[in-house]
Amino acid sequence: MSRSLLHLALLALALFTMLNTGCAPDSVEEATYLTPPGAEFMSQQAPPRVSRPSFVDSRGPRMDPNEIPGRYPFYWTRAIYSGWGRRGWGQSWATDYPKGDQQFLVVLKRLVRLNAYDWDNAIRLDDPTLRRFPIIYAVEVGGMDMTNPEVEGLRNYLDAGGFLIVDDFWGQREWDVFEYNIRRVYPDHPIVDITLDHPIYSAYYDIDEVKQVPAIGRAMYPAECYGCVPYVKGIYDEAGRLVVIINFNTDLGDAWEWAEDPRYPLEYSTYAYEMGANMIVYAMSH
Amino acid sequence: MERIFEFLFKYPPLFFEQGDFTFGAPMSVRLWLIIAGLLGAATVASYTIARGKSTVTDRGVMAGLRVLLLAVIIVCLLQPSLILSTVVPQQNFVGILIDDSQSMLLADENGELRNSFINEEFASGESELLQQLSDRFALRFFRFSDVAGRVDNPSELAYEGTHTNLSRALDVAREELSGVPLSGLVMITDGADNDNQPLAESLVPLQAAGIPVFTVGLGEESITPDIELGRIEMPRAVLEGSSLTVDVVITQTGFEGGTVPLIVEDELQIIAEETVELGPDGEPVVARIYFELEGVGPRRVSFRIPPQPEERVNRNNARSVQVEVRGEREKVLYFEGEPRFEVKFMRRAVEEDENIQLVVLQRTAESKFLRLDVDDGSELEFGFPTSREEMYRYRALILGSVEASFFTHDQLQMIADFVSERGGGLLLLGGHGAFAEGGWQGTPVEEVMPVVLSSPADDPQGFFAEVEVIPTPAGLTHPAVLLGVEQDQVRERWDSLPSVTTVNPISQVRPGATALLSGSGEQLALEQIVLAFQRYGRGKSIALTIQDSWLWQMHADVPLEDQSHETFWKQMIRWLVDGVPEAVEAVTDREQVEPGENVQLVTNVGDSSYIEVNNATVTARITSPTGTVEELPVSWTVQRDGEYSVEFRPLEQGEYEVEVTAERNGETLGSDKTYLYTAPSDDEYFSASRRTQTLRRIADETGGQFYTPEDVSSLPEDIRVTGAGVTLIEELDLWDMPFLFFLLLMLMGAEWGFRRIRGLI
Repeated sequence: MSRSLLHLALLALALFTMLNTGCAPDSVEEATYLTPPGAEFMSQQAPPRVSRPSFVDSRGPRMDPNEIPGRYPFYWTRAIYSGWGRRGWGQSWATDYPKGDQQFLVVLKRLVRLNAYDWDNAIRLDDPTLRRFPIIYAVEVGGMDMTNPEVEGLRNYLDAGGFLIVDDFWGQREWDVFEYNIRRVYPDHPIVDITLDHPIYSAYYDIDEVKQVPAIGRAMYPAECYGCVPYVKGIYDEAGRLVVIINFNTDLGDAWEWAEDPRYPLEYSTYAYEMGANMIVYAMSH
Repeated sequence: MERIFEFLFKYPPLFFEQGDFTFGAPMSVRLWLIIAGLLGAATVASYTIARGKSTVTDRGVMAGLRVLLLAVIIVCLLQPSLILSTVVPQQNFVGILIDDSQSMLLADENGELRNSFINEEFASGESELLQQLSDRFALRFFRFSDVAGRVDNPSELAYEGTHTNLSRALDVAREELSGVPLSGLVMITDGADNDNQPLAESLVPLQAAGIPVFTVGLGEESITPDIELGRIEMPRAVLEGSSLTVDVVITQTGFEGGTVPLIVEDELQIIAEETVELGPDGEPVVARIYFELEGVGPRRVSFRIPPQPEERVNRNNARSVQVEVRGEREKVLYFEGEPRFEVKFMRRAVEEDENIQLVVLQRTAESKFLRLDVDDGSELEFGFPTSREEMYRYRALILGSVEASFFTHDQLQMIADFVSERGGGLLLLGGHGAFAEGGWQGTPVEEVMPVVLSSPADDPQGFFAEVEVIPTPAGLTHPAVLLGVEQDQVRERWDSLPSVTTVNPISQVRPGATALLSGSGEQLALEQIVLAFQRYGRGKSIALTIQDSWLWQMHADVPLEDQSHETFWKQMIRWLVDGVPEAVEAVTDREQVEPGENVQLVTNVGDSSYIEVNNATVTARITSPTGTVEELPVSWTVQRDGEYSVEFRPLEQGEYEVEVTAERNGETLGSDKTYLYTAPSDDEYFSASRRTQTLRRIADETGGQFYTPEDVSSLPEDIRVTGAGVTLIEELDLWDMPFLFFLLLMLMGAEWGFRRIRGLI
């Protein structure tokens, strides 16, 4: 029943996006905020305002300064961290941003009864405001190079009860970079496999297989590195609570971003949204 | 005063109260009045016609004085007298009831024991009082404390009674002497009744039989200096690890304005200490003390104030309370209408609390629910409970952001009944789907809420405000909002917590409800009610109108080691389940008795829907301190549905365990355990000062009189004129009262003086 609903939502999103040729740009500098894609599908609350100004500083966009955090129970929040990306220093965090975030929110709100803020939201790891958003999403952590304040900010965030979702990094080299960075946060906490009997796989959808989700251009050849196998790993705190979930050798974000593209296989976008819903529901209740 | 009266009027006041006034002159009173009138007229005429230096006024004054003089003489000639009904010597009985309790061994300010009066006047057998009584009456002695009975000689009294029951003493004496002519009862006591039996029930038969009671009050009306621990407000059962707030009433005289330590001990180990500031003499102060009890099982918790310098009575400085520390996991259902971080952080806060099982049912989509911490796969399988049996398994219910329209009308009624009938705790959290914003007006649950719902805001975005939370004066002393700090730091701790938010503007509590936390903020026109509660039926309802208490854990301004959020939720949920009744509940009428005293065990029996059951088989299994087991059937009382009771008498000293099981048609409805402590009581040392008012009341309502040892000498004569028993009529002359003689002298002296002043001599 719920899976059919997911398929229906994805198909509707794809149809809508094809009819509306404009897609949000992939880069921060070009970000223009109009009506969020798929807003018509949102039935759970009043439609958002028609237009929204851009707030950009040297590190990336921010939430509308007129918005007081807390009005909504949930804000899909992206972690801004220091590091190298494909577009140069300091931009690896912004991969698929903001289109992937906005589209993920649209579909997520159709699937889960979630009273969420309609717009993307990106916060630096060393910003105290981060602690107002108990779930954060970090991508392309293979280029991560956190500053000490960011390391401390992330550690405090996780210790206080925050939850980090990591996604979209590939191969041993990128793993090593991420592991080096996360060890600075939690030197002694082991990184363990999250096996399929973990409740996160059944928090909303029942997931019985970890799939390798490819980027848009690699649908036929999912892996971005030779012989890469997808993993879901995690880090627990002292009390045995899962505080970090790591989606390695996979790219859920691209599936969220390109779900409407007819070239993108439905199988992967379905899995990515299922996994996304499960991670959100789990992290909001555990 | 009474002596002066008796000197002037020849007889004590009681004679005038009891007797009838009459004139004994041989001629009729009318004739005497005519003679008096004539003499008076003659007197006035003689002064009127007299001539000399005197003026008209002078003559008027002198005539008046002379007429008054004549009137007094005429009254004396009329031979005024009192007609009294007096008892016939040695044909009547008097019962003498002597207090045989421990309080009679208390010393007064001069070091003299209360029973010294009894020893001197009655036990020695040589006193004048006893002699006078014996001359007039046949005396019968009774001893009384918690029981009463005949005693041949007052010297046999041991003063070991641990309670005083005045009613029982009067009943026993009246019944024992019912077959003989009884002139009255004499009750010698301090009047410090501590069995709390209504006196009126014993006084009415005495009034009906015309038996006066003469009370002799011993001891002082105020024992100074002294400190006494009074009432202790403490639940009889608590959950392990719960913070307890206990109110202790302390009264004192002679230590006004001072401070004393109040110490709490659990099995001889000090678990709390508080310095108490004492108020004015005689005015009780309520000391509030906080502590936790560790370890499951029955406990004796002792409260004491160390003896103070020169304190007169030390044994009233300590009290013990029996309490059961329960180790069960209390099951609480938290139903949340949408994924919210409140779920995550509330679960985190109580996850280490072994006594709380927080079962979460979270709606994640229409007709799709996430269940957490359920016992098995069948629990809440179809979502929110649809039957009372299913819902009443929980001891408390938390409703998150879920709109009223989610529920059927039956479910809404069931939620209201959960509080009023089952006695469960209901906590309503703020959110888009809560209170007025969730359409709860007009539902059966609205009545249960401790807050008044306003109309939802017209703004399509809805109401939203940041709230700075502070405790109200009532909240400053409530355990749920103390956040685990000392009372004087509570305000400071709340001030240090970050602002939270609300989407439910609520500014009014219902009549009878109490606000514990309030809030203010720029977006709030009125003060926000943040936390309020009320009793409703058998249970309680609590409203927490904010939507993100998790900020008290997660916010950057809160240090990582801060435990405010965890403490708040632990205390909130423990408070929520505190006092929630079971379907079968047993309780004894007293938590501590003396060996041999009767104890009433009352059991309330309901089925799984908490409907009272009258046809259950209820058995009490009583285990004594030495392990002796006795099984007693507990019978339905008939007066109340579902109430069963039995009386038993524990004989051993120590702790009794009472386990009650209820069955119906072979099916167990439930069981409960309660504990009873048996030990000698110190009650006689509490409120031990003389109760003059009580003793006066007994005397006044029966036609007797109240005495103290100082004025008791008139007792034999007073009993003689009470009129009870075998009596004869006695006429007492009043014409020779010294008062009349003095009056005559005064009037004559006045006339002479007047003449001297006016120069008429």
